[in-house]
Amino acid sequence: MASADKPINTDVPEKDVFALHFLQSLSNLRRQNAFNSPDDTTNNRVKKIKKAAYVSMARAAGGTNRLWSRALLRRAAKENNKVVIFSRRKKRVTWLRRSNRRDPVDAERLRNLLPGGGAMETSKLMEETAHYIKCLSMQVKVMQCLVDGLSAK
Amino acid sequence: MDLSVLERVNWLQQQQMVSPDFFEILGSDGREELKRVESYLGNNNDEMQGFRHYETIDGCISRTSSFQMEQVKNNEENRVIALQPKRKTEGKTEKIENKKKKIKTEDETESSMKGKSNMSNSETSSEIQKRDYIHVRARRGEATDRHSLAERARREKLSKKMKCLQDIVPGCNKVTGKAGMLDEIINYVQSLQQQVEFLSMKLSVLNPELEFHINELSTKQFQACFTDLPEAVSKQPMMVDASSFPLQQHGSLDYSLINSNQTTILSSQKDQTSSSWEIHSQCLYNNLRTDSVSSFFSHK
Repeated sequence: MASADKPINTDVPEKDVFALHFLQSLSNLRRQNAFNSPDDTTNNRVKKIKKAAYVSMARAAGGTNRLWSRALLRRAAKENNKVVIFSRRKKRVTWLRRSNRRDPVDAERLRNLLPGGGAMETSKLMEETAHYIKCLSMQVKVMQCLVDGLSAK
Repeated sequence: MDLSVLERVNWLQQQQMVSPDFFEILGSDGREELKRVESYLGNNNDEMQGFRHYETIDGCISRTSSFQMEQVKNNEENRVIALQPKRKTEGKTEKIENKKKKIKTEDETESSMKGKSNMSNSETSSEIQKRDYIHVRARRGEATDRHSLAERARREKLSKKMKCLQDIVPGCNKVTGKAGMLDEIINYVQSLQQQVEFLSMKLSVLNPELEFHINELSTKQFQACFTDLPEAVSKQPMMVDASSFPLQQHGSLDYSLINSNQTTILSSQKDQTSSSWEIHSQCLYNNLRTDSVSSFFSHK
């Protein structure tokens, strides 16, 4: 029971990787015709950019190695009516384990915030949250730089 | 009254509650062990004094009640001295002795400051026996069966991860306790997500001039120029060049500037046979950050 835990790995790639992915997705967006139609309200455009930001972040940060990035990509793909095929992971998603164990520390709000948080154990949730926070802050930095670069005259 | 362990055992013997077999089982060295343990316990006497008033709290066996000797039985096999069954801790310490576990535990003797009792006799003796297999440190008063140990390991894992999170989330140091930290974390995640939304709104405002010009361009033109470049870099200049065409005022000048920028990228890329993503993105970044390029993006 008193086993030595592996060190918790919350490494996040460099800012440049995030920037690259984000710019890629932005230019993808621009290629699409829907973006150019005048009936596009600001809201829709904002939503699209936001979605592009999240998807690019998921791809840049974890790909399919992290639970939250998988859930994000799956959710985005579902909205586009695409089917996402993930490579088979070694560990199965612990649905059963979670249903058996009802933790008294029910971090329900956190689960709602984090993509894919509903299927994790509490300890795994904390790990994923840490990684998610790091990636989010990196993405925010990238977007801030972009906005600054664009708005500077 | 603060009896030492040995004194209490002697007192017990006087009351003929403890069979003389007890000491037989202990053996002569057992007595020595008891003395040694007692001296160790005695070192904590100062803390003992301080904790004296805690004796009745949380169901620990108080000294006054330890003198109720009527129901004391001596089980020779297990060395259990059972007091009134109402006491929770008694039940637990019984479990310690009765169950044969694969994971042996050792009670922390320093936590015995909570109250000396007759149970300490049997416990110390059992401690001595069980010292060979120490895997988990069980605190006194806590159950030592497998499930609770697993629970405790799980809880420690969780607290370790919370500590990790505490380092990441700024401003978490002042708050203590799981609930407060959880609130802080949730607030931070929410604020980050709001920031993303806000920035995407800003981006959507800044970018609309670019988008409807892409249709005018033929993508073939640009792809022909940048075939040898990786796709990401080729997209970026497309984004940049799109703005150049509708410009009436600064048209040619800007275009030349763009071209020069792109040529620099091209040359740098061609020089390197294997270019990593970082280098590409560096170029992209520099592109974005240079004032000359950024001026294209803002039209008057």
